[in-house]
Amino acid sequence: MLLQLNNIFKWVQSGGQRIFLLKDINLEVQEGEFISIMGPSGSGKSTLLNVIGMLDAFDEGEYHFLEDSVHNLKEKHRSNLYKEYIGFVFQQYHLLDDLTVQENLEMPLIYKKFKGSERKAMVADMLDRFNIVGKKDLFPAQLSGGQQQLVGIARALISNPKLILADEPTGNLNSKQGEEIMDLFKQLNEEGVTIIQVTHSEKNAEYGSRIINLLDGRMI
Amino acid sequence: MLKNYLKIAWRNLTKHKAYTIINVGGLALGMAVTLIIGLWINDELNHNSHFPQKDKIAQVYQSQTMNGQTGTGPAIPRPLEMAMREDYMDNFKYVVMSSWNTPQYLKNGETSLSRNGYFIQRDAPEMLDLKIIKGEKDGLREINTIMLSESSANALFSNEDPIGKTLKVNSEHDMMVTAVYEDIPFNTSFSDADYLMPWAKYVTLWDWVKRSEDYWDNNSFQMFVQIADNTTIEAVSEKIRDVKKIKDPDLVEFNPEMFLLPMEDWYLRSNFQNGKQVGGRIKYVWLFGIIGVFVLLLACINFMNLSTARSEKRAKEVGIRKSIGSQRGQLINQFLGESFLVVLLAFIIAVGIVVLSLSGFNELARKEMEFPWTSLLFWGVSLVFILITALLAGSYPALYLSSFRPVDVLKGTFKTGKHSGLPRKILVVVQFTVSVAFIIGTVIVMQQINHAKNRPIGYDKEGLVQIPTMSQDFTGKFELMRDEFIKSGAVTEMSTSSAPTTRIWSNRSGFNWEGKPEGFQEDLAWTEVSPEYAKSLGLKIVAGRDFSRDFASDSLGILINETAVKYMGLQDPVGQIITDSDTEDPFEPMKIIGVVEDMIAQSPYEPVKQGWYVFDRNDNGSFYNMRLNPNKSASENIAIIERVFKEHFPNIPFQYDFVDEEYGKKFASEVRVGRLSGIFTALAILISCLGLFGLTSFVAEQRTKEIGVRKVLGASVFNVWNMLSKDFLKLVVISCFIAVPIAYYVMNGWLQEYPYRVILKWWIFALAMIGAFLLTIITVSFQAIKAAKSNPTKSLRTE
Repeated sequence: MLLQLNNIFKWVQSGGQRIFLLKDINLEVQEGEFISIMGPSGSGKSTLLNVIGMLDAFDEGEYHFLEDSVHNLKEKHRSNLYKEYIGFVFQQYHLLDDLTVQENLEMPLIYKKFKGSERKAMVADMLDRFNIVGKKDLFPAQLSGGQQQLVGIARALISNPKLILADEPTGNLNSKQGEEIMDLFKQLNEEGVTIIQVTHSEKNAEYGSRIINLLDGRMI
Repeated sequence: MLKNYLKIAWRNLTKHKAYTIINVGGLALGMAVTLIIGLWINDELNHNSHFPQKDKIAQVYQSQTMNGQTGTGPAIPRPLEMAMREDYMDNFKYVVMSSWNTPQYLKNGETSLSRNGYFIQRDAPEMLDLKIIKGEKDGLREINTIMLSESSANALFSNEDPIGKTLKVNSEHDMMVTAVYEDIPFNTSFSDADYLMPWAKYVTLWDWVKRSEDYWDNNSFQMFVQIADNTTIEAVSEKIRDVKKIKDPDLVEFNPEMFLLPMEDWYLRSNFQNGKQVGGRIKYVWLFGIIGVFVLLLACINFMNLSTARSEKRAKEVGIRKSIGSQRGQLINQFLGESFLVVLLAFIIAVGIVVLSLSGFNELARKEMEFPWTSLLFWGVSLVFILITALLAGSYPALYLSSFRPVDVLKGTFKTGKHSGLPRKILVVVQFTVSVAFIIGTVIVMQQINHAKNRPIGYDKEGLVQIPTMSQDFTGKFELMRDEFIKSGAVTEMSTSSAPTTRIWSNRSGFNWEGKPEGFQEDLAWTEVSPEYAKSLGLKIVAGRDFSRDFASDSLGILINETAVKYMGLQDPVGQIITDSDTEDPFEPMKIIGVVEDMIAQSPYEPVKQGWYVFDRNDNGSFYNMRLNPNKSASENIAIIERVFKEHFPNIPFQYDFVDEEYGKKFASEVRVGRLSGIFTALAILISCLGLFGLTSFVAEQRTKEIGVRKVLGASVFNVWNMLSKDFLKLVVISCFIAVPIAYYVMNGWLQEYPYRVILKWWIFALAMIGAFLLTIITVSFQAIKAAKSNPTKSLRTE
């Protein structure tokens, strides 16, 4: 088992009333799964993903990730945990504009304190694997959306995470680019990476092994 | 990691050029000001630090009380020397009597120059540790000797070896050069010692000096000492305090107290008020130190404001970095690193600015400072300074930026809250408070200077020239020279006097007159003049009559000034008889023949001192005062005077001063402070405006969409301009109301030091406020109008 959510609640206070963003979420994810989270806008998909990714806190419930109880961890340990095991892919790619492709890929490794020579080798591997060696010195603004997302995924993968969290990874791409990205995810999943994606598209959801539907913060 | 940070920082800087120029430029300017002020303060504090024995050297000072007023100064009587040597010598290593700085004509063959220097006792070169280039350090052993500074020796002897050669001093004394010493550095109290001659010689030169040997009440000399190694200046001060009272009990009524002023206080803390040490130039060190800190603060505030204003642009970067594993500490380090880089860059530029402007500043501040390239201390202090500035300027943005939550900024829901601009607003208020206070301060300094400059001085200083005539060559020649000069057509009237027009050189007491209160200890300025004095100066007679050559009895006549009439309590001054209060061997009684208008001879900031002008019976004046012919140009007149002068005094270099220029020197210190503070104020305002300019452009950019929407809905350019400017103008108004009371308090305190001072008027403050207000409008409008004029379809499409 990779992670487990028990009775997770998340709310905001508004005019003396609680508005629930997540309501009693129970979820167990095994290693090697490919899960798609679906639901209408405002149903809490991204919030759930952020909670899983430890970028966002929750108000009630338990969250176990591998051996650790996330709800009891301090900020620093949490960030160490997700740094170690989780890679993020965003709809808007979120590459650092001031860094080249190569430098963007290197960034997570720097934060994980890899040595310079190791970093070089790992970045070279990743460029090779994604077939973007020729683009390594370009800045994000010089790439197409599909290429940027490719770099985004490569960056998420570079530190060998157990889990990839993708928030509408194809949302800003045309259908052909989107298909390529989804194929890539499928391939990664087959190589053993656990993936959780948020998506609007039935077609993209089909790539996954399991679909979770959310409505008003509740699993249905 | 570091490399990565620096790379990002560098790219950030080069990408946003306008931002970088404002930020780095403003900071560099602020640092340059602080650096220059730092150098200046260092120079001030190290005045006299050239002397290795500075901690042991002191000057003997004396406090005396007259009519309840205690005056303190370095003038001491001659017999003090023997008292020290006989009774107190175990406290001292050296006791050195000295004259005041006396300009003398030094002549070698055809080369004749006027040089400043001291008649001083033999131990002086040892005490001051003069660096001897040629000759011997103990060069004042014999009576007819002279030691020369290197530059004087070069000027007089060019390539010759001066040692053993004879100089003609004042065209009558032959003095042998015994040593050449390295010029004493500019920032010392002895930088004006072009020559040193033996004290023993001085004592033989003038009768009054000879006669003063046993007189404890003739305070006309100075004494320097180096204390013994095993004691302290305070301890010795305590021991010698009552020496004068013990030696001459007659003088106890003046309560004379002697003490030592340590060398480190000579320059910065030599002012006394009622017997208490009250500082001196040290106040300017504080003043400029505070200005320096404030200017740097202003520049740092710019940096903080612009960095946080840009935070929204960088929020995304923070979010991404956090989501791929950066911890807050690492982000803080990154932003501090960027700050450090900017500060370092600014420092390099600041050093450039300082190097380029140092010579100009030296001229302005009357300094000879050099850039301390080789001083390890300087670079060490600079490094600390850079680190502190980087921390000061970078800590707020670093803490603020790194606190963003990645979910917020990445979801795009991140908005700076309603109060997120508050710290920025406070900082702008601080900036403008400082700027407005600086404006007010500078205006008041300028006003005070003008106020004193416009004060009626009692005589006509334009077209008045004075020639020093202290050499013996002039004695007895006044009548002749007056005829010659008037005949030449360059001079319409001429007089001689025992002191320059712009100074009081002598003060006397010991007189009696009718109605003098019992026990009144008078203190009167005493100037000996020829009969034409009032006429040549344009001094008005307000009662009685001027001196006249027609009345032989006028040689015992006195003119007194208006203040003296009040001071002496005279109802009907003209005709009053003045007698000697000393009844053994009294001088002949004198008669007041007239009253002249008060003329400012001392500080233009102080009341005129009570003074007497008495007939110079010995033709022994120190200056010729010449009223130039108004029908000729000044240069023509001077050329003629020089020609006549050379005919009669071929051996004496022709020297002259325009009295109005001499008078102008009384303002030098204030004018200097005024100019410097004017420049620093201008820079402070520039830095503040630069920051405001940057800030407005960010706000305008932030609100691009809002402006677009408003314009679509029908807002005019004026509406938008108003909307953008209003916020800043509010801040400036708040600043004004904080700055005015502070400036009032500080400047009022400063003015209290000047008895003759300008009255603070409300409009000065109003003017400064309006100025700041206008400046803000202009600065803000640049960006506001640009934003207001932009095409809304463009700004809305980019969303």
